[in-house]
Amino acid sequence: MIVKDSKMKRKWGMAIDLDKCTGCGACSLACNQENNMPIFEDDSDVPKRVAFLELMKVTNDRDAKFPDVKTAYLPKMCQQCEGNDTHGHKADPPCVSVCPAVATDVGDDGVVSQIWSRCIGCRYCQTACPYEARVFNWWKPEYEGTFKEGLNPEVSVASRGTIVKCTFCSHIWKRERDKAVAKGILDINAVTYTPACAAACPTGAIVFGDLNDPNSEISKLAKSDRAVRLVNAIDDQPEDKKKALMEKKQYPNPKVYYLTSQKWLRDMMRFKKNS
Amino acid sequence: MVQFIKNIFQESSKNMRITLYVLITLVVLFAIFAIQILFWGLGYTDMNNNFTWGAWIIGDLGLVALGGGAFTTGYLLYIFRVDKLRPIINSTVLLGFMCYLFTFVFLLFDLGQPLRCWFGFAYPNWGKGVYPASMLTEVFFCLSIYFCILCVELIPTILEHKVLIKNKVIATIAHYMHVLMWTMAAAGTFLSFFHQGSLGGGMWGVLYGRPVWYSPHFFFMAVVAAIAGGTSFMTMMPYIAGKVMKKEVVPMETYQILTKVSGIVFVGYFIFRVYDVYTAIVKYAPMNFRDYFDMWGGYYGIWMLVLEFILIISAIFFLVQKKYREQEKFMVIGATSGILAIVTSKLSVLLHGFSVPNFPWKGFTAYMPTIQEWAITFGCFACMILIYMIFAKWFPLFPHLEHEEHEAHH
Repeated sequence: MIVKDSKMKRKWGMAIDLDKCTGCGACSLACNQENNMPIFEDDSDVPKRVAFLELMKVTNDRDAKFPDVKTAYLPKMCQQCEGNDTHGHKADPPCVSVCPAVATDVGDDGVVSQIWSRCIGCRYCQTACPYEARVFNWWKPEYEGTFKEGLNPEVSVASRGTIVKCTFCSHIWKRERDKAVAKGILDINAVTYTPACAAACPTGAIVFGDLNDPNSEISKLAKSDRAVRLVNAIDDQPEDKKKALMEKKQYPNPKVYYLTSQKWLRDMMRFKKNS
Repeated sequence: MVQFIKNIFQESSKNMRITLYVLITLVVLFAIFAIQILFWGLGYTDMNNNFTWGAWIIGDLGLVALGGGAFTTGYLLYIFRVDKLRPIINSTVLLGFMCYLFTFVFLLFDLGQPLRCWFGFAYPNWGKGVYPASMLTEVFFCLSIYFCILCVELIPTILEHKVLIKNKVIATIAHYMHVLMWTMAAAGTFLSFFHQGSLGGGMWGVLYGRPVWYSPHFFFMAVVAAIAGGTSFMTMMPYIAGKVMKKEVVPMETYQILTKVSGIVFVGYFIFRVYDVYTAIVKYAPMNFRDYFDMWGGYYGIWMLVLEFILIISAIFFLVQKKYREQEKFMVIGATSGILAIVTSKLSVLLHGFSVPNFPWKGFTAYMPTIQEWAITFGCFACMILIYMIFAKWFPLFPHLEHEEHEAHH
């Protein structure tokens, strides 16, 4: 069998509709289950918790009272930054170039990967990340009782003292490709997939797909007026200014888009408080 | 051996005995908590996914910057032939050696997987050409090579021990090592420029996703800071040792040269720091759509910046003007503020940098080191003081002192 075109065409991206999100937490739960997140005695210790997907509660003002108070829930995972790639070279997210042991890299499908067994645990990538998306195993990952039997064999369990992160459930894509290969289809671009969080969302707020495919739903959503990226004002700038900024600025350029038409939320993304 | 240690305690004064007890207690605590951290992980620290680094990195930044006095003094003595610095060079090399040694210790503790530390050499993140992509790769290589150089520089001090030097072969080796030391000093200075820049500043300056740190010139500013603060540090340590020993261990004119260098470089550092703050306000913070002054808040507020500038100005005021510098107490105030200015700047890089929220709906965070972190940090400092005391007591750390004693004997 000959594979005619095996060049990677995919660039995975995600769009999360904050106006549709109810904050139920199903995405977080599905992610934890899919990616073998450890369970600790005290998981209320949020800053030390190991979870790829954090469901953040966003309020316009902590002290605001009804009816001025506004709330939204914002599922936040690794934003799979591309970096401001003005030279047409490989993508350059903030976290990849800093790793002293080449434990993290960005694939040609745009997903920022992490080799857990290569990581020395220096946490420099965590420091570099503007989205607090990388998590460190402060304790030895533990799986009590029957949780051990429910572990996903496709995701390796990390040891203590390593950085772990969301990979857009890349292993599911691998599984889908393996299925295609079994059917005799060897083209790497033949299949798409759905990560656990997108599959679990009951309101369909999370859309996942190929940003390089102009007909995909995600491409259309990413270009819509409602799209805004996390704490980044660049999307709200006029088109020409945006272009100029992209040329100059070292900018994470994430591939996760948040959709909202709520002005206060868009302002929050720009660090404009109480508008 | 037990008798030997007993004798030391009996010979020492009461204050010295108390000091020794405190230092040894700290070292023992260090050993206990080191085992806990190395075997059961970093969960016992107050570091977390927001506050990624803590007390030990402050230790690293401070020690490396202050240890920078070693390469400056070595360069002045061996390359510029400022021979008046010779009485202080042994102490300087020892201090530099210890600063780097304990930087390694701190770095090792900070690794989640200390057994994988060799990965930094085995899988280095080199970019295009010879320049490393990761600042930590540079730290790994430059720090190790410079540490080797400091070891070589320290050997003559040990060889010149009064028992060893009687052996003719050892005496010859020690003599020629001194003669050829300028090669080491030159190589050390070359290397120091890189790792001072990378660990002290470049490491933070390249983080373009974090507006609180991003500044392309941070690398160069850290080198200036190391020269300015390091020379003050190298003055103060033998000065304190002299006060404790109640002897003139290093002549005043040697201190004067180092503090003068420190004062002049502090002027440069002041200008650089003002430029740094200015560019942060008008360029780098707005580039990420943040307001510079909004980023100062919480416990580690703008007072840290103000304090830093007060200390820098105090160092300049007392060290640059000859009439103040020549008075011992003003020299001490100036050099102490110099050291504190550098320490404050490193504290502010870390504490302020991590406390700044990445999202507008989050508040400023704070960091309170746990007993394990305190014990390991201060235990390391206690180790350093003990090693310095051992060298001052039994090794020719202060050639000037031996010279004086020798003459007095005659």
